[in-house]
Amino acid sequence: MAKLERRDFLKLVGAGSVGVGAGFMLAQSIKHPLEHLIPYPIPPEEFSPGVATWYNSVCSMCPAGCGISVRTREGRPKIIQGNPSHPVSQGRLCGLGQSGVHVLYNPDRLTTPLLRTGDRGAGAFVPTTWDEGLAKIAERLRTLRENDRGNRICFLSEGVRGHLAMVFERFMEQLGSQRLWHFDFAHPRTLYEANQRLFGEQHLPYYDLKNARYLLSFGADFLGHWLSPVHHSLGLAHSRQGRPGVRGKFVQIEPRMSLSGAAADEWIAARPGTEGLLALGLAHRIVSAGHYRGPDRDGWADKLSRYPAERVARETGVDADTIARLADSFAQTQPSLAIGGGAAGNHTNGVDILIAVNVLNYLAGNLGGAGGLVFNPPPAVDSPRRHASYRTMLDLAAEARAGQIEVLIVNKTNPVFALPAAAEFKEALARIPLIVSLSSFMDETTALADLVLPSHTYLESWGDDFPEPGVGFPVGAISQPVVSPLYDTRATGDIILGLSQRVGLGTALPWANMEECLKQGWREIHQRGSQNGDAESFETFWTSVLQAGVWGQDAHRAAPAVNIEPRVIDGIDVEAPRFSAASEEYSFILHPYLSTGLHDGRGANLPWMQELPDPLTSVVYGSWVELNPVTAQQLGVSEGDVVDVQSAHGRISAPVYIYPAIRPDVVAMPIGQGHDEYGRYAQRRGVNPIQILAPEMEPSTGALAWSATRVKLVPTGRRVKLVKTDGASRQLGRNIVRTIKAVSS
Amino acid sequence: MGVSIVPALRALKPAALTVATGLAGVLVGFWANAAFFPGTSPRQPIEFSHKIHATDNAIPCLYCHTQARRSTVAGVPSVRKCVDCHNIVAKDRPQIRKVMSYWANQQPIPWIKVHDLPDFVYFPHKRHVQAGVACQTCHGKVETMHRVKRVAPLKMGWCLDCHKAHAVEHGLDCWTCHK
Repeated sequence: MAKLERRDFLKLVGAGSVGVGAGFMLAQSIKHPLEHLIPYPIPPEEFSPGVATWYNSVCSMCPAGCGISVRTREGRPKIIQGNPSHPVSQGRLCGLGQSGVHVLYNPDRLTTPLLRTGDRGAGAFVPTTWDEGLAKIAERLRTLRENDRGNRICFLSEGVRGHLAMVFERFMEQLGSQRLWHFDFAHPRTLYEANQRLFGEQHLPYYDLKNARYLLSFGADFLGHWLSPVHHSLGLAHSRQGRPGVRGKFVQIEPRMSLSGAAADEWIAARPGTEGLLALGLAHRIVSAGHYRGPDRDGWADKLSRYPAERVARETGVDADTIARLADSFAQTQPSLAIGGGAAGNHTNGVDILIAVNVLNYLAGNLGGAGGLVFNPPPAVDSPRRHASYRTMLDLAAEARAGQIEVLIVNKTNPVFALPAAAEFKEALARIPLIVSLSSFMDETTALADLVLPSHTYLESWGDDFPEPGVGFPVGAISQPVVSPLYDTRATGDIILGLSQRVGLGTALPWANMEECLKQGWREIHQRGSQNGDAESFETFWTSVLQAGVWGQDAHRAAPAVNIEPRVIDGIDVEAPRFSAASEEYSFILHPYLSTGLHDGRGANLPWMQELPDPLTSVVYGSWVELNPVTAQQLGVSEGDVVDVQSAHGRISAPVYIYPAIRPDVVAMPIGQGHDEYGRYAQRRGVNPIQILAPEMEPSTGALAWSATRVKLVPTGRRVKLVKTDGASRQLGRNIVRTIKAVSS
Repeated sequence: MGVSIVPALRALKPAALTVATGLAGVLVGFWANAAFFPGTSPRQPIEFSHKIHATDNAIPCLYCHTQARRSTVAGVPSVRKCVDCHNIVAKDRPQIRKVMSYWANQQPIPWIKVHDLPDFVYFPHKRHVQAGVACQTCHGKVETMHRVKRVAPLKMGWCLDCHKAHAVEHGLDCWTCHK
């Protein structure tokens, strides 16, 4: 036997020990990690672990007011889907609505009241208590109110409806202030005005896409974001595929193909701002071809004689044959429906355009019946008309600069982001001594606040909603908390009610909290209902509305006889649209559009929405400028080349995306990115085209004409790679889409 | 011209024994871990005996694991459930005192999972219990154990053997368990 040296022996022992250790650790490392099984100290009553509970509520991500069903497990929301019983969403929901869970669980949520310590806008805040925060503002409000200076208090809220809007109204009324405004960038101010003027209707009508056989849309991206996109998508789907043997035809008229344009049978790119002229051109054809036989036919014929096909064709860029074809099909295919909105309503002649579109509905007999414009009965709880136009916001800024506003309360609206730099709103805010924000996030406006009293998200609060436009009959829904509050936040309504108690506005706002206020309001709705022989008790009614997530009445309004007065007919005209800046230097019209996921920018802090590819360009995570291939060739740029987009009011840069479905004289940019604040997912990503918009307005409403800015494009020489999910946009001989050539005889 | 590795191997020959010893050590270490520290019967924060509860006092499984019939999880009893009885029963035992101190502080008892499936496995207790599968089929004779020990491997093949033997409808589909 070979002799084992001492050295070798030690080597073997060493190697053996290391091996045993390594083997032991290896076995340990592949074991399942140890997990705990944590019981409840006291079992919850509302749910069983492992069993899902669904709560019905209302979506607040956009103003459409869809009903939602929230699936919760162990008391935590897991997914939000459409409530099948709710007539607006009918079990469906858009991506933004589904992203509501990212609002709730967002790591950038404000978790406690904050008090500013450093300079305004420096972002230095210290946590404070609710008592201290409320006391601070309540004292100021009380002093102003007692000195009859209540009007120096301004309340700027996101668009709200139902009882929360009523609470805001009473609160400001008791303080003695008229300065209560709702501000949403995309609020269709001109559409309300157009309906008011032509039909005398205060509420938007219900656009019955579902039963229409011919749909003519002037600029309304109704599948993307216009009014109630989920409901419209259902409507179009039914119009196309829900009726055996009938397929609704749909024509979209807009300068840049939107999601709706892409779904249309025909897409027509009329010159921006001439949509109204085109509508009147169609109206002219309808009357002159004898499709309209109403008693006021001669009046219309006379009126519309100023819009012969040749003139309209010349000014709109749509040829006379197309005009005649569209007009004939529109008038002869019954029921037909014309809708207008989006970019078409955001010109300096936006109201004229939308009136002209409604003239088509009138002439084709689309008022009041199925498949046309159905006038909504007044909602059970009417919302005040408080939407601030651009002019209102300018006035507000002027008043702030003049020192006439001492307290500004901002509720979840972000005017610093959503107003053009030309409005100088941010600078005006600097002159307001006390700014209080009720936002759940540190957005651009909240960053300038002195005091932040963070609100619950909608999934944690009580509320109700009466969607507008409705669905042709009265509908409402209660928004109930589906989860216990995650942080030290309070519901917006409770903050206002708490404030009013501290200021001493008790009698007008007697409720301890929003739930109590809602119950009283719904008790009235119940009483009105029980006059019709409804015998159930209020508690039963309340529980059943909560469970169903919707309340409705079978009260279709009889179609009002719409007689448009000759005076109104006389007044119908479309002015030529105005565009900012001289057209020679600024040779392109900027077409900003609400992005499908980020809406007006509110969705930019939601990771799902950031990574959701834009449906038409497939770009994610940034901004881009859409150019027609011809335009790009003239400028010598290709995809990814960064260009400066300059208006007379500012400059932003973004990479080029070549988009064939846009007019060569128009460049389009999505709205929503370009946040300086608003959390980790939104910040420092892309640019905000709102900032460079020209302060052009529709004169009668003061609405911002945000399709009326001219820009020039200056290549910067820089290049980036666009983050997008599609490959080449051309077929490259791969024969992916087969085409045939139509031959007309 | 060929390249040979033989000279290199020859040079390594003196080290071969050391390497072999090391590798043998790895096997021994691995075996020792698996044999003596199987992790199938972890020491719990409270020495709870299923034998005393389920056999000696004949308490049915579902009395404490109430969710098993209607939920994906069987449910571990809340601390209050323990206290409901032990307010009166066996109050003076040291382990019960421990339970009561958790209750006094309103703290959950951090039990350690004995039967744990990976997160990518969807295992609903309710389907199995309602189909009449006895608890013991997967959990072993828990009622005889002082400290619970996992007896089943809980591996996919083991699941499928049973699904096959009982000809479970869709029992072999991927999506049945991996959702």
